Amino acid sequence: MNAPLLRFVLVTLAWLPVTFAVWYVLAPVILFPVQLLVRAIAAVAWRDLITAIESHGAVLSFVTTLRPGETHAGGVLTVDVNTLLYAFGLPLFVALALAARQAPRWRAILIGYVAMLPFIAWGVLADFLKNIAITAPALVASQAGFGPRERDIIAFAYQFGSLILPAVVPAVAWVLTHRVFLERMRAPREAATRP
Amino acid sequence: MVRFFAVFVVLLVVMFTAELTPWAQQFFVVPWTNALASIATSIVTVFDGNVIASGKVIRSLSNGFAVSIEAGCNGVEATLVLCAAILAFPAPWRHKVVGMLIGIVAVQLLNVVRVISLFYIGQWDFAVFEWAHQYVWQALIMLDVLVVWLIWVRRVPRLHDSSSPPPAALTAA
Repeated sequence: MNAPLLRFVLVTLAWLPVTFAVWYVLAPVILFPVQLLVRAIAAVAWRDLITAIESHGAVLSFVTTLRPGETHAGGVLTVDVNTLLYAFGLPLFVALALAARQAPRWRAILIGYVAMLPFIAWGVLADFLKNIAITAPALVASQAGFGPRERDIIAFAYQFGSLILPAVVPAVAWVLTHRVFLERMRAPREAATRP
Repeated sequence: MVRFFAVFVVLLVVMFTAELTPWAQQFFVVPWTNALASIATSIVTVFDGNVIASGKVIRSLSNGFAVSIEAGCNGVEATLVLCAAILAFPAPWRHKVVGMLIGIVAVQLLNVVRVISLFYIGQWDFAVFEWAHQYVWQALIMLDVLVVWLIWVRRVPRLHDSSSPPPAALTAA
């Protein structure tokens, strides 16, 4: 590993504890736009299924119209989703942006933050849908009204939204917002190998 | 750059979908996850003899604590991301193959460290385990993938296709 890249990695690792601490403490504020986005999408797409979305810190509680069982005549099912599970890429992205020291840093951080919000919302909504359509008891899943094909799509959306997107999106956002830094890092070696 | 990201996304979706198929799970993911548990246990038993692996589960015989290596923790997805990024980037095929082979080893080595560290962190404090498992190690593995890719990108020769404009120096000449 060359010196600039090693320095970049070490500075990123040094920033990570700081960015993770800030992210965790300020999560309700930082992830508030995700709540708005999730509420907006839910209101349009699953109006009959979700009656309210309550926030408890970083946890979103989806209040549904589904009945949890025969014996709970008056109760409805509530599904809790931890938004942090889909947002751990934010502190990684900020640490990478701070370590790259490419001006204007705050503009890049803002662009990356805004770009990541829809993907965090994807993870949260897919988690909720997976809970009611796949992992819920048969009585609840049948009330949700999803067919086999829709359940397959939900399963894929959940897997992709939990295993791939939270980690990949910050890396992609960082590469896209730091092309000058990447070119600069690549240039010295090319200059050295040019005849 | 647009072409790179388009190819990267397509490759990633295709490879991830293939990984989810029963065939890939049976013949690749499950055997690999079990092997990962065995490798991690073999390393651990050098300094801690009271640890056994059973399938994808690593268990302490001292206190009964066990971790099960599930999807997302077996390093398969991180490996797919790295391979998609290397395959999508314009570079000679020989560089791509070498980059993927070395990169896979680098990602999996850190993943073994992740599994072993989580196994001991879990025995020490479960709240810290949850934090390390759900947030910190996920970020560190992706940082590893990004760094491996950056090292590889820095080493591959730049390809100039005929559709792209020539470098400024050549235009001036």
